[in-house]
Parts: sequence; C-alpha cells; structure tokens
Amino acid sequence: MNRRVAWVMLAMALGPELAAQGDVTARLAGRVPPPIAAAVSALADSARARGLPVAPLVDKALEGVVKGVPADRILPAVRTVLDQLDAASAALRGAGVTPAGDDAIEAGGFALAAGLTPGDIGAIARSADRSHPTAVALQVAGALAAMGVPRAQTVGLVRGAIQSGRPVGDLVSLPGQVQAAMARGAPPAAAAAGLERAATAHQAPRPHGQGKGEGNPHKP
Amino acid sequence: MSQELDLPPALRPEVEAARRHVSLSPEIEARVMAAVRRRAAPPQQRAWRWLTAPSLPPWSLLAAAAAALLAFVIFRPASVGSPGVASPRATAVGPESVYVRFILVAPNAREVALAGTFNGWDPATAPLSRADTAGTWTVTVALPVGQHQYAFIVDGRRWVPDPAAPAVDDGFGRKNSVVSVSAAQGRIL
Repeated sequence: MNRRVAWVMLAMALGPELAAQGDVTARLAGRVPPPIAAAVSALADSARARGLPVAPLVDKALEGVVKGVPADRILPAVRTVLDQLDAASAALRGAGVTPAGDDAIEAGGFALAAGLTPGDIGAIARSADRSHPTAVALQVAGALAAMGVPRAQTVGLVRGAIQSGRPVGDLVSLPGQVQAAMARGAPPAAAAAGLERAATAHQAPRPHGQGKGEGNPHKP
Repeated sequence: MSQELDLPPALRPEVEAARRHVSLSPEIEARVMAAVRRRAAPPQQRAWRWLTAPSLPPWSLLAAAAAALLAFVIFRPASVGSPGVASPRATAVGPESVYVRFILVAPNAREVALAGTFNGWDPATAPLSRADTAGTWTVTVALPVGQHQYAFIVDGRRWVPDPAAPAVDDGFGRKNSVVSVSAAQGRIL
C-alpha cells in the first residue's frame, strides 16, 4: 500500500473535472480578454459544481466578444445564462427529472429565455416519456415560444402531442407547421390554435392498455 | 598511516598504484551505460514497481480511497447517472448531425458569414457563397443534434438574424436566430 497508488486514484477521480476546466480555458484563450476569461472560468466552475452545463456560458462570452460588446456587458449576459440554466435545472428537479442531462437543462434554459416559466418547464418535463424525451420536448416548446406562440398554447400543444401517443416526429414538426401558417399570414396564436383544432379533430381513440408514448398504430 | 608503515616494502608500489585515480575514456563509459540500459526492466515493469513500492501503512490506502470517492461525488460531471423517472434522455444526444442549409437574401452585400454556438461564433469558419445574381447567399453546415443560436454577419460588421427562423434576445440588445436539430428523423424544428 503506498502513497503513489493514492495519487493515481485521486488523479482518476479528478481527471474529468480537470479536463473540463481545461476545455473552458482552451476555448476562451486567445479569443476573450484575460479578465473576462478569468471571470467566465469562475462562473463555469460554479456552474459545474451545481451540475449545470458550462458550454452555454463559454458560448455567450465568445458571442459577446465577437459581436464587439463592451466587456462590462458581457459578464452580466453570461450570468443571465447561468441563472436560466439554474432555474431550468431546479424546474426539472421539481418535476422529478433527476439527474437532468445537459441537453435537457440547456433546452430548459433556452425555453426560459424564449419566455416560458419554470412552471411551464416542469409541466412539459412531467409529460415527457421514453418516446418523447424531455430535451426534445423543451426544444420544441422553446422554438414555439420564440415564434411568439403564447405560453399556455405552447405548453398545451407540446403536452398534447406527447400525450396523444403520436410519434416524436409529429412533436418535432410543430414549429415548422406554425411557421408555415405564419408565412401564410396567420398570427402565432392563430397558427397554434389551428394546430390544436387539427390535433383534436384527428385524435384517434387509443387501444386499451397502450402505453403513453409508444406511438399510435393507426397513424403511419 | 601506521598501517602503511607496516606494509612489506614489496607491496608498497602496488598500493600506490591502486590509489591513483583511474579515468575511463568516453567511449568505454558510453558502451557500459548502453549495456546497463539494455538490461534495465521494461517501462511497464518499472511503472508497476513504482506503483507497488511500499511507502505508506495499509490504512493510508483506505484513506486515499475515501478521498477519491469524496472527490468524485463532489466533482462528478453532470451527465453521469442513470435515466431518471421522467427523463429517458438517451436519444436526444449522440454523434448524429444533420446538414442544414442556411439562406440569406442580401443583394447589396459584398460578403456574408454565419456564426453561432455550433462554430464558437467564429464567422471565418462558415462564409456564405453568392448563389445567384439576385443576391441569395447560402452555406450548408453539418450541425450536431441539439439547439443552436446563430446570426449572419453582413460585410463583416452587421449582425442580421435569419428572417426565416425564430429568434430570441441575445442578451446584448440584438436577436439571435434559433435552429434545433433533432435526432428524430433528422428533422429541423
């Protein structure tokens, strides 16, 4: 038994953490002024310690620098992203999604940025299932909200698509359908209402005992 | 000193010779060291000896294991873990990527580039090509599954959101466009 074995074990345990820190530093190096890079690295450490993804923080810092934003406005924007990720993570935890993956937390953070609330995030996450993953459902919801579909309609459309048991492709196609209707001149709310009516009209009765999210056998 | 005085006279030249410093030529030294290296244990064997050489009492290994476990619990990556009750999340992330074609109509532009979260906001990696004389600019990019924010940069200084995509505030007073690439059927939201 020796001290060297102990060092190797510690290195193995801390390896992924150190690699992640190195990744943040490497992405910022040479592109972001050192004071901002140091502050973003500290925020990334804080995010990582809370189980949050750090890539969106680095992306926001890079975006600010590339867009020529003054340094004193970059860090607040990065902090806002961190707060959104934190709120999304808490909402997912409250909905029983533990552990929430980075993709779900990022999608939740984006949905919050698009105008949804933590309650909306939780409601959508609770309706997700194996065939309609939380991350995909939240990405769809965020896209709908970003198009201007009202919150309640957004949540209703996404949950309705999941609970109907239709394939995930139908869920994923919702923003495209809304956008097509908007291109024909419909306001976002009206476009979403049209989809709700269509979904209700085409709702086929589900066979007894069919599990949620396993797909509707009557629909190709 | 007294011992030397006791030496028989016949042995004294031999002792003097033994006391003289002997120096080897560099060639001999190099040959000897090369032979030593050839006989050395292979790297794997030396590494194993290094690891297993005893230097601590047995209870130290238990302490090290506990420290490693504690460090892992504190610093583990967020993605470690099994699927949760309501979050079967394995299908959303993967190596899949989808080719996405971006189009911007900018008749007066001299150059257009695309920057977003998928390329580290580096416009140099995704310049658009003018597709026709009407001012349609396009580029096709392989995007990994997930959600991405982006914008066009016209003439190297003007940031323009994609008029054909949903947009969100970028936190800097402008808008970013959003594209979501799903593993399900390679769809774009």
